[in-house]
Amino acid sequence: MSSERFVSAMLAAIVLLIVLVPIVLPGEAGRSLVSLILVWSIFAIGFDLVFGVAGMLSFGHAAMFGTGAYALALLTTRLGWGFLPALAAAGIVGAFVAVLFSFFALRVSGLFFALLTLALAQLLFVLAGSKLRDLTGGVDGLPGVPRPELWGIDFYDDGNYYYFILAVFVIALVVAAILRSSPYGHALRAVRSNDVRAEQIGFDIQRLRQSAFAISGFYAGVSGALLASLMFYVGPQMLHWSTSGDVVIMVLLGGMGTLFGPILGVAVFEVLREWLSQVTAHWYGVLGLVFIVATIFAPQGFAGLAALLLRRSGDQR
Amino acid sequence: MSVRTLAAAAVCAASLSGMTVHAAWAADPDAFKIAGVVAFSGAYGIIGEDMKRGVELAIEHRGGKVLGKPIQVTWEDDETKPQPAVQKATRLLAGGAHMIFGAVSSASTVALQSLADQRKVPLLVTISADDKITRPNGSRYTFRTSNTLGMEIRMAVEFTKAKGLKKIYAVVADYTVTREGWETYRKAVEQAGVTIVGVDYAPLGNRDYSVIIDKMAKTDADGIAVMVTGNDGVTFLKQSGQAGLGKTKVQFGPVLQDELLAAAVGPASLGVYSGVRYHFSHDNEANRKFVEAYRAKFNAWPSSFAGEAYDGMSWWLDTVESTGSWDKEKWVDAFAGSTRENSLEGKKVMRACDHQALQVGLWGEVVEGKEPLPPLTMKITNVFEPEALFPPC
Amino acid sequence: MSTIVIGLSLGLLLFLLAAGLTLIFGMLGVINFAHGSIYMLGAFIAYQVVQITGSFWVGLLAAPIIAGVLGAAMEWLALKPVYSRDHVYQLLLTFGFILVIEEAVRIFWGLDYKQVPTPDLFSQPVQLFGSSIPSYRLFILGFGTFVSVVLFLALDRSRHGMVIRAASADPEMVQTLGIRVGRIRTGVFAFGCGLAALGGAVAAPLVPIELGMGMSIIIDCFIVVVVGGLGNIRGAVMAALLLGMTRAIGYTYAPDWVDFITYLVLIVTLMVRPEGLFSRKGRTA
Repeated sequence: MSSERFVSAMLAAIVLLIVLVPIVLPGEAGRSLVSLILVWSIFAIGFDLVFGVAGMLSFGHAAMFGTGAYALALLTTRLGWGFLPALAAAGIVGAFVAVLFSFFALRVSGLFFALLTLALAQLLFVLAGSKLRDLTGGVDGLPGVPRPELWGIDFYDDGNYYYFILAVFVIALVVAAILRSSPYGHALRAVRSNDVRAEQIGFDIQRLRQSAFAISGFYAGVSGALLASLMFYVGPQMLHWSTSGDVVIMVLLGGMGTLFGPILGVAVFEVLREWLSQVTAHWYGVLGLVFIVATIFAPQGFAGLAALLLRRSGDQR
Repeated sequence: MSVRTLAAAAVCAASLSGMTVHAAWAADPDAFKIAGVVAFSGAYGIIGEDMKRGVELAIEHRGGKVLGKPIQVTWEDDETKPQPAVQKATRLLAGGAHMIFGAVSSASTVALQSLADQRKVPLLVTISADDKITRPNGSRYTFRTSNTLGMEIRMAVEFTKAKGLKKIYAVVADYTVTREGWETYRKAVEQAGVTIVGVDYAPLGNRDYSVIIDKMAKTDADGIAVMVTGNDGVTFLKQSGQAGLGKTKVQFGPVLQDELLAAAVGPASLGVYSGVRYHFSHDNEANRKFVEAYRAKFNAWPSSFAGEAYDGMSWWLDTVESTGSWDKEKWVDAFAGSTRENSLEGKKVMRACDHQALQVGLWGEVVEGKEPLPPLTMKITNVFEPEALFPPC
Repeated sequence: MSTIVIGLSLGLLLFLLAAGLTLIFGMLGVINFAHGSIYMLGAFIAYQVVQITGSFWVGLLAAPIIAGVLGAAMEWLALKPVYSRDHVYQLLLTFGFILVIEEAVRIFWGLDYKQVPTPDLFSQPVQLFGSSIPSYRLFILGFGTFVSVVLFLALDRSRHGMVIRAASADPEMVQTLGIRVGRIRTGVFAFGCGLAALGGAVAAPLVPIELGMGMSIIIDCFIVVVVGGLGNIRGAVMAALLLGMTRAIGYTYAPDWVDFITYLVLIVTLMVRPEGLFSRKGRTA
């Protein structure tokens, strides 16, 4: 097995172990935490398609995350839709918002793209909290978001809902893996490393970027909907730029551009947050120190760090 | 592939998984467990600490037990955001909590209500003021022993009339709760013959009121209604102080000032009127005892957050004790019709129709305080009876 | 007329807040997300100094100096190793700074509000153009103008400024001329942090001094920096004044739309003229 493959396999194993904690360990122990990790992982995997693979830093993905959540909440509570159609609609709404943003934002690149996506998402955040309050419940949000009611299973039991989320997660992961290794994925990477050359070869770079954006928007919308259902609640906080910032940090921390890196990043972030907040009241500061140290010493994120360590110890055989 | 590498990966994975497990809370059926989900950081971070003190004193005063078992409170920080509130409460419930105490911001409390209803666990609210938290046909498991914004608004109406203010200019936060409160106020005072000379809606979290203050100063209004929450009130009063607005016009608001916020504003807060949720100067035996005990233990005057938390938790625990049962449904039924004769604010009656406690409303003015009082303190100027403050269900 | 005066003072306050960010951005190419946290630190330091010495003016002087030293330490310890990396990692780094600084402020000063009184000299309103204008706002107008002139002269017209600008445009060349580029970078970052803290100290009598105050201004600062053009001091002043006037007019007619309009201005600028409305063409990210 080549070094690359080996590292990926190890990362996959680690992710698998985390993800299966609720199955392996009985009781309600890590269930809500792992469910949270799975939901955010879906978000992060989709986001990395834009960030790691296509090389665009978007600071506005909270918009798709949040609108997906609101879509599910409104369709189920106000229009009586079933959960699965509403979940699909949430993804489509997320994709739609992404395409809308891309019309504005893809005119510019780099830092300006990041700032523009941030501004667009913040605009939505401001509106959701104030002018659109009849739709969104304003600053206080909408409670009473339901769980799925399917096949006679009680998804209000967190254990059962975990399996539902796991299923969606697996589908999302497989689709992402296929996309990344397909010609489409290669084309995106080409656009990332040298867009001028890519265009000369004949790729329609705008179309490629827009589609990547749309797909990540779909992922974001679905994950937002799943989170709203997990929490029984949706609020404008999900549209805030700090939510966009969270997913960027998770992906950076875990290792952008890899398949399992973002998941690892989500896991490390959430576990650290849970664990540190119980250990010390100053956990926010400790988390900050972790970021600083990670940036200086682990530039490829934890995935890169793991890869480095694994390669080194492999060489010492 | 070396064994060492595999071992390293396994240890790494195991410790990560171990952390996810460790992050949960072990169940223990031999105690009465309270999930305390309040703000210890974020916009309302200062409030959580006071609430914790109030609850701890309430538990101490009953010997640390209820139903013959020790009381165990686990405090978690919701960061003044709904998502961490729900996340942490979920975890605590999974660990066997028998009730939830919290939150601070109305958004977090509303989010917790959904959870409480789903899990059929009582939620005790002693601070969040949004009216919709307790309403007819609302959450069966939610109880509020503290003020509603509606109460504060009605007090503001009564104050306007009592003070003889005839022309009002208002600044209102662009937030559902304050907008609705403003409409209620406006209708009521216009009926009493008061003229509204102007109203401006400012974004929540607005940092600069100078233009609005300038507009206000140019009118002949005699009263300024400040319908904003938290920080925004501090910002407004600091800036209106610099413009000297308070010298010619009476500034007031439903939840505008208390000792904490007055200290944040500084001398510009003198002469400002506000609704007061609870005050340490309110004179009855229960309150005197509480204030004495609080000052002895914490060397500070109890804030409204501490007072309401102590009051609500004491009332709740007494009710639980009286049922003699661990059945949560019995607790809910017992609390829903209960009366507390000796609460810190006199008699409080829990209304069965909406799970809101009927109580007196306190209204006061910021004045200079002499030692041992804080330098800026509230002086209670009006006490309103419940009949005037609560519409029928 | 009074709206114009208020708009100008709003604008110059915004400039004071954003000057440090545009300087660091333009000269070092670093997006200092922790800018808001340093602003907050400046306000808290000013509070502490006022507590000790009783003088607002000493606080105004102390805050930028202390923050500058801190900024130099931050740059030297954490930022230096990261310059060569992808800009995106600076994001993670400065986010880390935000959390650490916030925690430090919480440990040192606690969670409750602090209060800095308006300096006696400027505590009374002044009658101008038929309005009662708080004299502290006029102070901000004057002080902001003073700072912007000093910055402009220092960067655009002085020899030091020329060296700094050269070091940002072509560091290797400047290094071969015998000038320590590393030192210049530390100095610029420290200076930018000092400016941020100065903004905090100036804002202290106007806004609640509490832990979240940094986050509330960061978007405004980005708007000024982008609309003005990265690193462009004159542009930043223009952009800040534009934003201030827009806000003042917004507050007069539709205050609840002010936030919305603010973001709209940013979006339109980024789409139409991302290098800034006031920049001489040629500056890129």
